[in-house]
Amino acid sequence: MDAFYIGLAEIFEVDVAEIGPDFDLPSHNWDSLAVVSVIALGDECFQKLFDGAALAKCKTVADIELLMSRAEAA
Amino acid sequence: MRTGQIKAITSHLPAAVLTSDALAELYPGWTAEKIVEKTGVRERRIAAADETATDLGEAAARKLIDETGVDPATIDFLIFCTQTPDYPLPGNANLLHHRLGLRRECGSFDYAIGCAGYVYGLALVEGLIASGSAERVLLITCDTYSKLIHPMDRSVRTLFGDAATATLIEADDQSERTLGPFIFGTDGAGAKNLIVPVGGARAPRPLVAAEPEADRFGNMRGPENLFMDGAEVLAFALKTVPAAAAQLMARTGRGMDDYDLVVLHQASALLLDRLQRKLGVDDDRFVRRLEYCGNTVSSTIPLALEPYAPPSGQPRRCLLIGFGVGYSWAAGEILI
Repeated sequence: MDAFYIGLAEIFEVDVAEIGPDFDLPSHNWDSLAVVSVIALGDECFQKLFDGAALAKCKTVADIELLMSRAEAA
Repeated sequence: MRTGQIKAITSHLPAAVLTSDALAELYPGWTAEKIVEKTGVRERRIAAADETATDLGEAAARKLIDETGVDPATIDFLIFCTQTPDYPLPGNANLLHHRLGLRRECGSFDYAIGCAGYVYGLALVEGLIASGSAERVLLITCDTYSKLIHPMDRSVRTLFGDAATATLIEADDQSERTLGPFIFGTDGAGAKNLIVPVGGARAPRPLVAAEPEADRFGNMRGPENLFMDGAEVLAFALKTVPAAAAQLMARTGRGMDDYDLVVLHQASALLLDRLQRKLGVDDDRFVRRLEYCGNTVSSTIPLALEPYAPPSGQPRRCLLIGFGVGYSWAAGEILI
């Protein structure tokens, strides 16, 4: 999970200490570029592919983690 | 065996330049550095309002004729890959055939595939040559997606550029095939994820264009504009491209280390970075060319191959993979 959080911190351009389950996505440039970046990150860290439409609807990092647990193996 | 050999590749980019700096000024929250980092694109070339795929393709073809000295009268097939033709009919190949003054006995046709188009085209050419139907073929690629993109849709305007390429392929007798083998794939369930919904027979263009609407990310587009679900397309590519490479290598009996160059459709830096790592290809063999032209759809692979085309250097064994709209994909091995 460390690498995933580090990757999220890079995508949202914040300190990694700020990344946690409650991290609010819509207030941190949760746009089309961030969504595709998280898909690439999930593939790199977990070899899993997110459902893109469901990912775009996520509001927090906890939502992403829940989605990841259901994601298809890449 | 009778096989096709690539003798030359040339390209033509339109004059107008659209920089990431200029786009960053239009899109709040996106800096030029961020656009370049994620897309890999610093500049895109954009066709003028009165400049079409046939115009750009003609310029690439004339450059090839000038550089190689090939006699146009000896070309016996012209194939034009485009999804942005000048007219619903006739095809761009017919228009270009006339402009170049090719002979009446020269076959010509268009095909519309997009990002997998160049690999499909090489396979078609190899079929024509191996069957004895053609000896010297001119393969043109050109898409002008800029004409389909709403200016305030940053999800696609940051990626795509316009370009044309021309490839000359000649029949030769070789001990091994120099074009191919190829493998292909299709998944029409992905059609909705990269589409221009209006303008064809299913939904003709209305007399008054529909008002553009903002999507959940604030990107503006109307039904006559290009729509791309970037997340779905990225997931498709991450899943499909490694499988296509494995399928081709199972056919050829080669491993990734046996290829001098690996040339993928130049979709975006984000995707290329990830695919390079998944395929395990080192930087020296993984070809990139999108920083100063963008994702040019069917022209990305020939643009990336252009510096390696004859007469430059020793023959190189290349793995090519095109993938995208459709969904469609194709992989092939060539010696160039």
